Amino acid sequence: MEAAAAFPLRAPPKLVSRLTIVHLVEMILAGIFMVFVVLPAIFRFSLVNPAFWQIYERFYVTGLFGTFFYVALTLPLSVALGFLMGWARVVRVRIFSWPASLYVNVFRGLPPLILVIFASLFGTNLVPQPILDRFLSGFRRGDIAVGLAAIAIAMHSSAYQAEIFRAGFQSVPKGQQEAAQALGLRSWQGMRHVILPQTFRLSLPPLGNELAVLIKDTSILAAISGTELVAKSRDLLGILPASGLPIVWIFAVWTVVAVTYFVLTYSVTRGLRLLERKFHTPGLEAISL
Amino acid sequence: MIRVEDIQKHFGALHVLRGITFDVKKGEAIVIIGPSGSGKSTLLRCINLLVEPDSGKVFIDGVHVNRHGIRHEWVRQQVGMVFQSFNLFTHLTAIENVTLGLTRVKGMPHDEAVEKARKLLARVGLAAKENAYPAELSGGQQQRVAIARALAMDPKAMLFDEPTSALDPEYIREVLDVMTALAREGMTMIVVTHEMGFASSVASRILFMDAGMIIEEGTAEDIFQNPKEERTRSFVGKILR
Repeated sequence: MEAAAAFPLRAPPKLVSRLTIVHLVEMILAGIFMVFVVLPAIFRFSLVNPAFWQIYERFYVTGLFGTFFYVALTLPLSVALGFLMGWARVVRVRIFSWPASLYVNVFRGLPPLILVIFASLFGTNLVPQPILDRFLSGFRRGDIAVGLAAIAIAMHSSAYQAEIFRAGFQSVPKGQQEAAQALGLRSWQGMRHVILPQTFRLSLPPLGNELAVLIKDTSILAAISGTELVAKSRDLLGILPASGLPIVWIFAVWTVVAVTYFVLTYSVTRGLRLLERKFHTPGLEAISL
Repeated sequence: MIRVEDIQKHFGALHVLRGITFDVKKGEAIVIIGPSGSGKSTLLRCINLLVEPDSGKVFIDGVHVNRHGIRHEWVRQQVGMVFQSFNLFTHLTAIENVTLGLTRVKGMPHDEAVEKARKLLARVGLAAKENAYPAELSGGQQQRVAIARALAMDPKAMLFDEPTSALDPEYIREVLDVMTALAREGMTMIVVTHEMGFASSVASRILFMDAGMIIEEGTAEDIFQNPKEERTRSFVGKILR
């Protein structure tokens, strides 16, 4: 119903307010100040040093694309799994809700680093041989291990997201489904047109939070040398002492990494804020867990 | 129009309906009164099968509806329902609340549905509020939208489950006025309410329920002035003060 509007709907909510723009400009100015004034003053080093970038660029770009890849893999996967598990937990059918509860409690209760270690060491043994032969024969064993570790991170996050979606489902009053039924909607239609749109609106803010956590958690893959930003940056630092390059570069590299993660998570949470505003409905404000 | 035959309903150990039988003719407005917990709401819900009776038969327009082979969705299109807590779809505007059933259940084209919804909102006096979300409407306005939403499906009868009990006193009138107008236009309706003024002026018959049974049945005068049963007398005495 949101899209089709042949009749004059209410004016859509303003997505980008002046305050947002002021906020954004402030952030950018603060960043520029850090890079061009604070860092050079303290460390006699500028982040726009061509010699530094000539060497770091290769590592940075490879690492950044790796991080993008793992985010692109884990983010949709975790949302899908989280939604499924959250839904399964509210269904009053034991064979769905019980395994879902087990899943949530196990993956929420283990540190992502431990999950990553397990997945990379033993994960490949869990994948049936025919699947390895059929679909994954083009990949090196090590890459498959890292992929599985990424999936483990996604599962960890999905446990938290399941709780967010569960809370979202449970915040929709029972009367809504009843009213949908009383109109003659089938139960899947009530789900699709009444319950889900409300769950979605209620879950969006806490979901944004969790996705920011997930993006940062992909850095854990560095522990098993997955090709991503932290691991690649560490690779450079490994050759640094022997190469006679300035030691302050260590600091520079980690600053760049930190800023990159910040920009990544900040853009995603901001993007979700826009979605939140677009779908803002009076009476359907965010839930808290 | 609606016939209920020896309906029984248990919720666990609770015996909520103990053999209810009654008839509603076309164009009649029936008011059901009774103490809370007497099974009034459950009885209404048995008619549109939001609650499945354990035994007994429900007929709508001559069709035995609580049996295999009859789709619940079809039954619910025959009888509209208005809830105590309105239950408007929170994420939809007033007009979208009314069009949802038209487009999704009746498969009506969007523009046609909007046109029909506008007429219905005008009928309940809310033409100006079509783009308001439920949270932006008063309780009385929400309940009128809920009535428009139910009417949109062109039901053969309407069920009202304490439609004014959740309202602030100043909004009760406007909802009762809409319901009175509906009754005058010949809509068949069953209303669970404690609004005695409404019952006296609109009801063709009043049923008094207690402990899952119909204790007494009669005109407003019979029930309010000359109740025959002791339980009716004591209940009416309490609500009329």
